[in-house]
Amino acid sequence: MRLSTTSTKMTTRICSGLALLLTAGAALSAVAEAVPAKTVIEQTVAQVLGVLQDGERSSAQKRLALEEIAHGRFDFRTMSQLVLGRNWKRLEPTERDEFVDQFTTYLANDYGSRLDRYEQEKVAVVGEESKPRGDVVVKTRIVGGANDGVVVDYRMRPQKDEEWKIIDVVIEGISLVANFRDQFKEVIARGGPQALIEKLQEKNAEAAEA
Amino acid sequence: MIGGRPALLLLPICVLAALPARGEEPAEPVVEGEVWEDDAIWEDDEAGPWDPWEGMNRGIFAFNEAADRWAVEPLAIGWDTVVPEIAQIGVDNFFENVAMPRRIANDLLQGKPVKAGSDLGRFLMNTIFGIGGLFDPSTRNGFFPPSDEDFGQTLGVWGVPAGPYLVIPVLGPSSPRDALGLAVESFLMTPEYYFLPSYVSYISTGTRLLNDRALALETLRAERAAAFDFYAAARSAYVQYRENQVRDRAQTPEEDDEALYYLDEDDDADL
Repeated sequence: MRLSTTSTKMTTRICSGLALLLTAGAALSAVAEAVPAKTVIEQTVAQVLGVLQDGERSSAQKRLALEEIAHGRFDFRTMSQLVLGRNWKRLEPTERDEFVDQFTTYLANDYGSRLDRYEQEKVAVVGEESKPRGDVVVKTRIVGGANDGVVVDYRMRPQKDEEWKIIDVVIEGISLVANFRDQFKEVIARGGPQALIEKLQEKNAEAAEA
Repeated sequence: MIGGRPALLLLPICVLAALPARGEEPAEPVVEGEVWEDDAIWEDDEAGPWDPWEGMNRGIFAFNEAADRWAVEPLAIGWDTVVPEIAQIGVDNFFENVAMPRRIANDLLQGKPVKAGSDLGRFLMNTIFGIGGLFDPSTRNGFFPPSDEDFGQTLGVWGVPAGPYLVIPVLGPSSPRDALGLAVESFLMTPEYYFLPSYVSYISTGTRLLNDRALALETLRAERAAAFDFYAAARSAYVQYRENQVRDRAQTPEEDDEALYYLDEDDDADL
């Protein structure tokens, strides 16, 4: 029965991991130029944990604050492009913009809805690794709580102004971008890009009601 | 503890399940609304998880989901109501500790004596000072994180390819390599079941599964709600997770990295 154990455990880790981590991927909205990628993550983590541990704020307020941080730290357009893979260039420019909007909202809703499960975990930034074409992977580990020891990597890419932004979150080897790419491929193969955008809109509308 | 006999009972099903399903279409219902006219140009031309048995896998996955919804999850909710979380964590610690000798065997089979030594220390400490493994004093005392090696990973380290994605009834996501790993662990690496009465293995396996499922209640619920195609999400996660475990969290191979993070040059113009 090990495999099912492996998979339920894996799911728990990934999911609660994702919740904390994606939100933890956020950062200062005004980072000075040329701050090293690792420092960006360190500052981000400190900020996000500050919000999460703030007993004064309601969860709605926390969510807003984290969303704002996330918008400054993630490159949602590049993420959207990578998530669609080669299908990206087959979208009309208006469809692309719509997709980026909807996907960003979707991520915010999904991870925002998991904030209440934060249980005083901390995040240790443990190292960084440069990739051949200029990206940097910043490695972190969760300390404490049910997900103690879970490894989370942030893939960072320098923007035109040399500011580092997050383009992927990889939890225990599971890339958010790859995971969505594999799902979206199925949806697009069956119904085209419009079906995918509609599905995103549907999910976002449901989340708005809840 | 891997559930010697109960797990073994399922093996014939795994073997059946491993037969390729030729020409089967995905069992997923067609997305409502208009069908994209020109399927050909939307065909995925990128490497993703290898899943030639998708039709059959989706069928088994749907079965597992139904079994979970109508049987396993309700039981797990009952367990979760009766057993406080701290006790659930104790149960989890206990089973992790019982698994340690098997992990150590796999450490050694993979040529990792240092890891084996650390795991042995962990096992002794948790068994003696953690009341038979219910508590985990090693983690608080600065031991390395426990090993998660299993025989499926050992085969991977030895160079055995995972093979196509495979969903096993009840057990869920797997691969031929991991199914073989599970068989070896059940037969050869769980010797306690040869001298314990069989009801012990049934009870221990049942408890363990129920406890694991109870610990995952909220997460799985959230994950199902969030997914666009839960089958594809689970497949992608499983395949990536296992590859990462076999690599011991080392870097991804460069081609995979390129394929994931860089599209063709002409795409850059669109950014």
